[in-house]
Amino acid sequence: MKHLLSILARKRMFLSALALLLTGLVSAQVRISGTVTDAETGEALIGASVRVQGTTNGAITDFNGAFSLSLPDAGATLVVSYTGYADQTVPLAGQTTLNIAMAPNALIEEIVVVGYGVQKKSDLTGSVGTVKSKDIERIPTASVDQALQGKIAGVYVTPASGEPGAGGTVRIRGTGTLNDANPLYVVDGMLLDNASFVNPQDVQSIEVLKDASATAMYGNRGANGVIIITTKKGSKDRKAVFNLNTSYGIQQIDRYLPLSNAAQFAQLYTESTGDTTRFPDPAALGEGTNWQDVIFRDAPMANVQLSVNGSWKKLQYNLSGNYFNQQGIVEETGFDRYTGRFNGEYPVLKNLRVGTNLAYSTSLNNSVGGGVIGSAYRIPPVFSVRDSTGDFTDPTSFGQALGNPAADLFYKNDQHQRRNRWVGTVYGDYNFAKYFTFRSNFGFDRRNEREYYFEPAFEVSTSQRNEIPRTSRDSITIRNWLWENTLTYDREFDKLYLNVLAGQTAQENRFKRRNTIDNVLQPNGERITEWAMMSFLFRTNATFYDRYLVTASLRADGSSRFAKGNRWGYFPSAAVGWNVAQEPFMANQKIFDRLKLRASWGIVGNDKTSEYPSLGVITDELYSSFNDTVQSGATLINYSNAGVTWETARQTDVGLELAVLNGRLTVEADWYNRFTFDILADLPIPEYVGSQATPVVNSAQVRNRGWDFTVNWRETKGKVSYNLGFILSTVDNEVMNLNQAKSEILAADLGQGFATRTVVGQPIGGFYGYKVEGVFQNEDEIEKYPTFGDEQPGDFRYADINGDSILSSEDRTYLGSPIPTLTYGFSAGIEAYGFDFNIDFFGVSGNKVLNAKAIQTRFAVNNWEQVFYDDRWTGEGTSNTVASMDQERFKHNTRVSDHWIEDGSFLRLRSIMLGYTFPKNWLSGIGVSRARLYASGTNLWTRQEYSGWSPEFPGSSPYAVGIDFLNYPMSKTYLFGLDVTF
Amino acid sequence: MKSKILLSAVLILLTANACQKDFLDRQPPGELTFDKFFQTPEQAIEATNAVYEQFRSFDCIALGYLGVTDIISDDADKGSIPDDQPPLADIDNFAFDASNNYFSAVYRGYYRAIARANLAIENVPKVDMDPTLRDRLVGESKFLRAYSYFLLVQWFGKLPVITKTLQSDEYYAQTRQPVSDVYAQIEQDLKDAINVLPHKEEYPAQDKGRVTKAAAQALLAKLYMLEKDYAQAEILCLDIINSGRYDLMPKYSDVFTQAGENGIESIFEIQAVALPTQQSAGPGSSPYNMVQGVRGVPNLGWGFNRPSDNLIASYENSLDPRRKATIIYEGDQLPDGTVVQPNPQIFQPRYNKKAWVPSHPGLQDNGPGNIRVIRYADILLLAAEALNENNKAAEALPYLNKVRKRARDSSPVPLPGLLPDVTITDQTQLRERIYRERRVELAMEQQRWFDLLRWGRAATAMQAAGKVNFTPGKHELLPIPQTEVDLTDGRLEQNPFYN
Repeated sequence: MKHLLSILARKRMFLSALALLLTGLVSAQVRISGTVTDAETGEALIGASVRVQGTTNGAITDFNGAFSLSLPDAGATLVVSYTGYADQTVPLAGQTTLNIAMAPNALIEEIVVVGYGVQKKSDLTGSVGTVKSKDIERIPTASVDQALQGKIAGVYVTPASGEPGAGGTVRIRGTGTLNDANPLYVVDGMLLDNASFVNPQDVQSIEVLKDASATAMYGNRGANGVIIITTKKGSKDRKAVFNLNTSYGIQQIDRYLPLSNAAQFAQLYTESTGDTTRFPDPAALGEGTNWQDVIFRDAPMANVQLSVNGSWKKLQYNLSGNYFNQQGIVEETGFDRYTGRFNGEYPVLKNLRVGTNLAYSTSLNNSVGGGVIGSAYRIPPVFSVRDSTGDFTDPTSFGQALGNPAADLFYKNDQHQRRNRWVGTVYGDYNFAKYFTFRSNFGFDRRNEREYYFEPAFEVSTSQRNEIPRTSRDSITIRNWLWENTLTYDREFDKLYLNVLAGQTAQENRFKRRNTIDNVLQPNGERITEWAMMSFLFRTNATFYDRYLVTASLRADGSSRFAKGNRWGYFPSAAVGWNVAQEPFMANQKIFDRLKLRASWGIVGNDKTSEYPSLGVITDELYSSFNDTVQSGATLINYSNAGVTWETARQTDVGLELAVLNGRLTVEADWYNRFTFDILADLPIPEYVGSQATPVVNSAQVRNRGWDFTVNWRETKGKVSYNLGFILSTVDNEVMNLNQAKSEILAADLGQGFATRTVVGQPIGGFYGYKVEGVFQNEDEIEKYPTFGDEQPGDFRYADINGDSILSSEDRTYLGSPIPTLTYGFSAGIEAYGFDFNIDFFGVSGNKVLNAKAIQTRFAVNNWEQVFYDDRWTGEGTSNTVASMDQERFKHNTRVSDHWIEDGSFLRLRSIMLGYTFPKNWLSGIGVSRARLYASGTNLWTRQEYSGWSPEFPGSSPYAVGIDFLNYPMSKTYLFGLDVTF
Repeated sequence: MKSKILLSAVLILLTANACQKDFLDRQPPGELTFDKFFQTPEQAIEATNAVYEQFRSFDCIALGYLGVTDIISDDADKGSIPDDQPPLADIDNFAFDASNNYFSAVYRGYYRAIARANLAIENVPKVDMDPTLRDRLVGESKFLRAYSYFLLVQWFGKLPVITKTLQSDEYYAQTRQPVSDVYAQIEQDLKDAINVLPHKEEYPAQDKGRVTKAAAQALLAKLYMLEKDYAQAEILCLDIINSGRYDLMPKYSDVFTQAGENGIESIFEIQAVALPTQQSAGPGSSPYNMVQGVRGVPNLGWGFNRPSDNLIASYENSLDPRRKATIIYEGDQLPDGTVVQPNPQIFQPRYNKKAWVPSHPGLQDNGPGNIRVIRYADILLLAAEALNENNKAAEALPYLNKVRKRARDSSPVPLPGLLPDVTITDQTQLRERIYRERRVELAMEQQRWFDLLRWGRAATAMQAAGKVNFTPGKHELLPIPQTEVDLTDGRLEQNPFYN
């Protein structure tokens, strides 16, 4: 397709040249000259057509984007056009030197990267969302995932945590499985399970394939959606252009948790334990230590990106280097990364092009052991950081095995993770016959990750100490290669455009892990696993009469994870589209610039589970001890399932695309229904089975359905251009079947019972527990209401859900879902007189969050959240919302209940940015073609209902989402930077 | 042009077919899969050894196990610092419910042992090997399966009786079988084991510690005692006693030293060894010593399972040498010469001396101590108890007095009047003497709770120990772990009053 477009461009160039030749014969009176540039990047546009309106007189721009024209008079109007940009009409009004900035035309010629090719947006039959580089760059982060948050309808990103360098959890159109629900990443043609190595500033565009028609080409791993990342490529026929972008910022914690101070703690302690001797006068203790001050700090972040883009002889290249440094808002944490990239393409022969996209990344992640966030939350404020002798205070005097977080920061900070990664592709495109292209693409991913942890000998207390200095090393090596061969037939007939693709691919992954302590290999410390995949693919795209679109595809995949006989999966898709506005009967209407309807259906698969789910792997090192020595032992302790096969998702999508008001307003709306069945899940099994691991089974069915809406407004008026954007998506997630001899999956054990229950008719991982109706005020009430039998005044009064007049575990019920039913984002941008201003919001609603951290500490002698001080029950009539502090009653009052469940909705000012681009004439003397100064803020404002640091908890499994286990909090960032092109 | 297309197509197909043959057949490198296991005699031995390994696991013999044996009984309190492991305190105080994670630990631990045993019992007979060895290996696994069920049935009552490796369609379909069926299964396994297991001296030296014929007889005797089949119990106990293979060690405290491991008094021990290691827990180690070790100075462990006031009061003479051999007090000098320092975080610290081990290679995690599960004194006392129940009081006395004499003789200096021989022949009175002897002789050896249940005396003993939450009719059985009830949609019924 790229090829086709370049033909189009060449044709246009040829016509323009012809026109110029013809008009050159006419005598000229006025000489007009100028440049044509990209309004967004400032880059020169080569080969743009500049034509005098109503005439055939015109010119095309040269390698520097410059043109000159001779005109009869300077009162004419020029029409400037360029592939992929909106035509621009410029009245000369006497000017003879013009600088024309062209806005990329989102509507007519937008090119979208799809699986194994590119397509014009107007030809798409599938649902594909796109983000361009400038939208990604506004978020200062190491992770492309985090930069995607709130950018594309139907794509829901939850930051893994606020830890420096952390990635995100991406869910495309809901959580489609009980298994690994992460999408597939395709970076410049390389299929990967994550894109953590990608420097967001190297990204040209990100396409998210949402429906089955779009993802079917990645049938084997498309069930959870596909994210295609295309990095910046070299420009053709252009001298080297250097770009330096550097920024510096400060991050802060967004908010402190309201925890009780020393005086309040002492009061609560006395009430909780009945011990009145320890703190005879609680009020005298005052504020005490705010441990959040001890562990949190303002942390700097810095970024430097240098890139060179251009062509050398026929080699088009883009070379970039980046340094990113993000210190963490928790002391002693930080992330440091260098990335380098070379993308190049070279035409060896007229019909043979070879190229490569090569990236290297090395990062260092510093973290701190001991769970300092948890201990800062738990440690009572009556302790100081150090005691009178200058040693770290031992906080165990309440009998709680608590750690002093300051001591952990001091002793356990020599912990880091070094990640080195090479990812690249090498490809050749051989246009061996008219209409036919053979492409061979070899990709590789080589990762080496080393985790190092040294802990010196130290002692703060019997529960916070280390006897012997210990060094632990954990190394992971991953080698992955992919080889894809495709043959494309691409031909434009009179009334038919046809593109047919057939191919074969193979991929192999080898994972090796080695774990040592003090250089000694640990039990089962070395592990190697492999998987391999082989696929055949076929797709045809046909466009009849420029308006009837048909796509059909089939992919066959074999996965090494499954046993012979269950190994191959077949994934077909079909889609149709209708460009109504192209119909002859629409020719005279002025309202619709585009009116397109499309519908797709398809089946895609997912094999993501452990590498050998069908094989019973014998565990060794199960030593028996006889006669004071050991004998080797081995047996099967992890059961397997030989019959396991593909998880499959069937998706239907119906979409409408509209463009009105000369393309200024565009609307895209999609309804989708994705039904996932044979879900690969390691469902919990009873312990009497005796298996140490849970075998993987094809089980369960989940449906996600909903709407995606994208609305954009874009307008340029003279030197002012502005845009407004709005996305909204809904997800209705429902478990349709569990397919087992059981009706529910209980998970997320908090020590007080399971917190989530997955059951037919409800969302995955819905919260499950008791409903609190109030607090028992007196014995009379206890008599009156159903109870467990041992309730006392001050206890929570739980609802008798099943109405049997007695409370039991049968009275637990559904308490809400952690999956938002609605996610939305809106943005606004304006560029005028050199200034640019952008603002992005992101929000979710309809989800719940479980405050597990409070359940787990509420009634032990820990610090307490301030709400307990403010609202606790201390006697009849004092509170009907928070139970008494009585330690004896904690088991009753910390049952999983709606008391601990909060609204997870939030609205966040994701980014705000102000930039100023210096006028060119200021810079020309110093060899700089463009310079922009900017300031930005990230996450500066969040309106959240949840009482914790931040409300996003991606969770370790789909059953344990939205649970606050004291994650590393999100930060807000203030940043300024300079972007110079020379 | 057509030829070029054809060529490309052929090339694609060739590369595809060339790779396809074995490309998708993947085995974990360097690892064995089940279809290639149980092929050799070595593998048959390894699979049997793996059953033993499970009995050293944290689930089987550490906090959960001590919680539902000693701590739940009147022998011991939770120990350690007050707020460490609240679920154990709940067990101590009968404040638990079905979600207590230590019930899941022992339930899980012993069912995993059963699964390993089932796999060996099913597959070892298929291995082409020396039939004597093959039968012995199956016998060992049957004993270990029986021992697991023997513990589980006393804790939980009715149980799913799993005697083969379950297939995936059977995972959720099991139900609890009557206690009599569980007993029958244990009895069958032990009878099978008795038929094939060798005597201890028949094992080669490197296999010292494997289960023996006498171990199976002893466990069967214990089962008969549980079933109140005293006639059968008597026969088995006397069989062991009259075999002459076992005797008491001269000095009581020596039973629990490293030299006493697998000694003349030992009938069945869970074997552990501390090999030099730089790992936290070496390959033959157990956590049993660590979780009960002195907490503080010297720092030997976590300090759980604190001998109770009630236990101290139960010795008929405070100079009974068994008391000092059972309980470590603050200020005591340990056998290695170190002195236990006060620990301000623990109120009146005490520790289980029978779990004490001297310094050994590696750290605390690398515990070397064997756990004395069945020893000769236990069998002597069971013999006495069975004979007395069979109205043979006079015949019971020598066995009871043999135990008392050894205790008496263990005193460093002769003490006149210490633990005199019992001469009572009244059945009821003698029963009390035997019960009391059994308690102090086997104190802190995880026997007490089972004895109380067997004697029907849990309620009175708990009352006497001040455990006022004990509810007769409920707390004699532990609840089936709530997760297990939930996972089976209640197909596993909960024990009474735990819902």
